[in-house]
Amino acid sequence: MINIQDIRDTARDLLAKGEVRAVIGWRAGSRGMAVEPVVITAPEQADELVWDPTCYHNLALHLVEDRKFLAHARKTAGAPIGIIAKGCDARAIVVLMQENYFKREDVYIIGVSCEGSGVIAEWKVARQLDGAVPTAAAFAGDEFAFATAAGEKRLPAREVMADRCLECRNPFPKEHNVALGEDKTGRALDAPFAALARFETRSEGERWEFWQRQFERCIRCFACRSVCPMCYCEECVVDSINIAVAPETTAEEKANRIRWIERSAVKSENITYHMTRAIHLAGRCVDCGECERVCPVNIPLRLLNNKMEREARERFGYEPGASIGGPSLVASFRDDDPGAFIR
Amino acid sequence: MSMEKILDKARLNDWIAALAKGGDWEVHAPALEDGVWTYKPVGDAVRMDHPNTKQPPKGFSFPQREVFFSFEQIKGEAPRLTQVMPDAKRRAVFGVRPCDGRGSVRMDRVFADNVNDPYYQARRKNVAYVGLACNTPPAATCFCKSVGGSPVSTDGLDVLLTDLGDRYHVTAVTETGKAMMAVAGSPLADAAAADRKRVKQVHHEAEAQPQRAVNNPDAVPAKLKASFNSPLWEELARACIGCGICTFLCPTCHCFDLNDEMTGTVPIKGNRVRTWDNCQFPDFTMHSSGHNPRENTAARLRQRVCHKFQYFHENFGMLQCTGCGRCVSECPVGIDIVAVVNKVAEHVA
Repeated sequence: MINIQDIRDTARDLLAKGEVRAVIGWRAGSRGMAVEPVVITAPEQADELVWDPTCYHNLALHLVEDRKFLAHARKTAGAPIGIIAKGCDARAIVVLMQENYFKREDVYIIGVSCEGSGVIAEWKVARQLDGAVPTAAAFAGDEFAFATAAGEKRLPAREVMADRCLECRNPFPKEHNVALGEDKTGRALDAPFAALARFETRSEGERWEFWQRQFERCIRCFACRSVCPMCYCEECVVDSINIAVAPETTAEEKANRIRWIERSAVKSENITYHMTRAIHLAGRCVDCGECERVCPVNIPLRLLNNKMEREARERFGYEPGASIGGPSLVASFRDDDPGAFIR
Repeated sequence: MSMEKILDKARLNDWIAALAKGGDWEVHAPALEDGVWTYKPVGDAVRMDHPNTKQPPKGFSFPQREVFFSFEQIKGEAPRLTQVMPDAKRRAVFGVRPCDGRGSVRMDRVFADNVNDPYYQARRKNVAYVGLACNTPPAATCFCKSVGGSPVSTDGLDVLLTDLGDRYHVTAVTETGKAMMAVAGSPLADAAAADRKRVKQVHHEAEAQPQRAVNNPDAVPAKLKASFNSPLWEELARACIGCGICTFLCPTCHCFDLNDEMTGTVPIKGNRVRTWDNCQFPDFTMHSSGHNPRENTAARLRQRVCHKFQYFHENFGMLQCTGCGRCVSECPVGIDIVAVVNKVAEHVA
């Protein structure tokens, strides 16, 4: 069981000693039970930090933003930046380092174990509480405890945990500078890829119909892209104009930019967007499930990325986020690769 | 003389059928689809137990995508343009919450009162909103009262329904609303004195429900004006991921983009298309030079907040925010416009 005081003490100590210039973590939110990401820079702010079942954000995203900020401001980092990382957050950090987005020594990872539990899906909680509005959430062993106006309600983890956590095999952040909580790696309430396996019992025709309907519903708010730590490109294929133009970019270059995807949120364009994104995440997605959590119209995006992840695992024995020094999926080959063309 | 009626809930579908048949209305109402409350053309049964829809009804007058005209040019000839106007179908939207009715008033200011936008107006004149008063406890993110609204406001609505248990109290707000009620026939019975009394009581209780609040809203526009250069914006936007949820789900965000979408090259063929745009996207203010006057999330968050609570007020004398709380409840990282406004205003001497 993680004691929040340990997280606060660790962060305070690191900031006081100047070992980190900031710590990315979570603090209480202003709109109900959900916490919010925060970047603290002074030791006395450490007491703001919280750790509860709504710490679902993948904070690696804010490492990416810090890196971008430094690059744009042409600043050097100085001391490393600290980050509180769950198992999935840490895997995302590993992928980013593997891709040289930042160096290992630039990040101080305060690992927090999900200890076989995980974070909640708010829609599942809402369904279980039947109208009662939770104001706070807490870990309680195999259960989660919710404070409501009608008193404390306890719900089994199985009923309210996010799907990604139900299937998680690595709730312990293996890559860390310091780790809090127990390494209960391997405990999953659902089999890996269980949601995907359930989905794939449908026929091809049913699946195609399903995805057509889902992509028809997409409003292209790009929250799935924005929340993804792996979507760090300065310029994305879906942006309406060139973001990465420089003064020397010619008018012709700008005018001739190919618009792969139109602005219209219609099925054809939406499918192209989501397929492009899924392919770009193959071998990189660590299944933090944030894309699915943030989607305002509940498109089950994890299914797409899980599909790619399972392909990588089954065909190439590849697991994203396992090793900083290891080769990446798409930039490596094996002598025993099943495809003849590669040999 | 106001028109007040009583409708047995069991007969709601009869009224809707009468509207579709006798009044030539295409009726829409909230339906739960994939776990999301969405306005859908009415099928067999209408449910109106929705908290609020995920998206406001704004798309009925201002759809996310619409074609203005199509074009075609055969080489050596003059280009041919064909205007594409919205269809003339009348749409009645049931279950609109008062915050979204007030949202529609603000959209009208922009596209109908202020400028003449023929596409918006062509749709708007054929849309009627049948509102549903909020007489259950407000959501944790509701704050309509502090931005000049009310859970029983009739602004922007044509009819207001109030849930009285097994019956709805039905009030006409506009002439269109009266006409819609007139086609109902027997399902709409006259409201007895007791019903009138009861609805007053229900409205009174609804208005007394506590909500969170934007503090001292009258002073907010001036305070925001004084805070343009505040370093607070950076801190408040620190967690912002730059997605478009807050504006795409907003009942009053109305910024748009125009693009030519090609459908053929020989001859050149295509459509000029209006789509929603989004001030939270980095490319919203991107210049072709590469310069971006709102280059970070702080500048973009400030723009959205100040548009709602300062610029719109300067232009139209009313706050643009109606307190529906969608941007608060749906923000992936918990950015809360009530907390943002209060914090910024607090820091002004």
